[in-house]
Amino acid sequence: MEKSNLNNLMNRVQKDRDEIAFSEIFDFFAPKINAYFIQNRIKIESSEELTQEVLSTVWVKSNLYDSTKSALSTWIFTIARNKKIDFFRKNSKINFQEEDIREFLYQDREVDPIEENEAKKQIERINNELDEQQKIMIKMNFFENKSHKKIADELEIPLGTVKSKIRHILTKMQGFLR
Amino acid sequence: MNGTVVKNQLIFDFASGILGPAKSLFASTYLQLNSNASKISNTFENMLGENLMDNENIHPKNLKYTDCINNENIQSASNPKDPVTSFFGNLNNLDWKQVYKGFKEYTASIDDKDELKLIKMDPGVSVPLHSHGGKEYILVLEGSFCDEYGEYSKGDIQINDQKIKHTPIASKDTGCVCLSITEKDVIFFGKYGSFLNLFTFIKSFFKQK
Repeated sequence: MEKSNLNNLMNRVQKDRDEIAFSEIFDFFAPKINAYFIQNRIKIESSEELTQEVLSTVWVKSNLYDSTKSALSTWIFTIARNKKIDFFRKNSKINFQEEDIREFLYQDREVDPIEENEAKKQIERINNELDEQQKIMIKMNFFENKSHKKIADELEIPLGTVKSKIRHILTKMQGFLR
Repeated sequence: MNGTVVKNQLIFDFASGILGPAKSLFASTYLQLNSNASKISNTFENMLGENLMDNENIHPKNLKYTDCINNENIQSASNPKDPVTSFFGNLNNLDWKQVYKGFKEYTASIDDKDELKLIKMDPGVSVPLHSHGGKEYILVLEGSFCDEYGEYSKGDIQINDQKIKHTPIASKDTGCVCLSITEKDVIFFGKYGSFLNLFTFIKSFFKQK
């Protein structure tokens, strides 16, 4: 689906509480969000529950989204990430400790992101400057949160190479993340 | 060690959501105080958003869009703007421990492998030359300090590892308040070094259960 199309749909959700528009956003994102949780090693029973929470948040808190400031996919990613953190936090120990600060650090909130045009330019630069393997490594490392060991196994390259390549990507990225 | 790479790593790990509670608090305060860091984080979140956009599809079996519209469990929670104050409260009311004259610290009770501390240095006070057993992250919350490597003011972070020996000195005018993360205990050198090492050594005994 085109990004401008997604923005139109979101606009209709925000302005008119348009359920049909929401159902299209749901159809597009639900399988991707569900896959994100499964990639992050969350079992299918929980992944569907979390997917429901993410998309419910999109519906209920649609007013928090500002299309001039970030892409819809970015906003939805941050909601999904926050749900993931919360899930792991609650499931990390039997005696769940209240003092875990992440509960309120990662809530759905209005942030003050960069202008969309600037973001687009940066994404383009990143896409131009990183090769396919580097992009895959970023996805595996930071989106799917796989360990370096796991990445090495899946890509069938030595662990040391993974470590030095990720280091290299980070060094490279700092050049255009300014 | 390339400090910028480590700083970016911290920001990326925060954006990915894989940091423990101590480093999460540290990183979110850093992003709040440092607009450059916050920009980097936003760009990185955009990249991860692209990953979501292009992600494979695994269709949920038992979920319809109406389940999301009719879900009443979602509440809007207000979010504190300032993580340090929300977590520690008013810094003046904390039970600060004096380590030596002009140098106080307060250790957060947080369940994590990393230690989270607030450090307060009076104007002109210095820390004896020391290096670090593991990584140490320092973020300036108020005032400034300088050492052999440069000057650090509000919103700046310094990341030190075992190769670095330094003598931080708090600004003569303002002193400084910093947030710090320690992965392992610090090793001191110089005049009071052996005493401070002994102190850290003894302290580590009380931490073990």
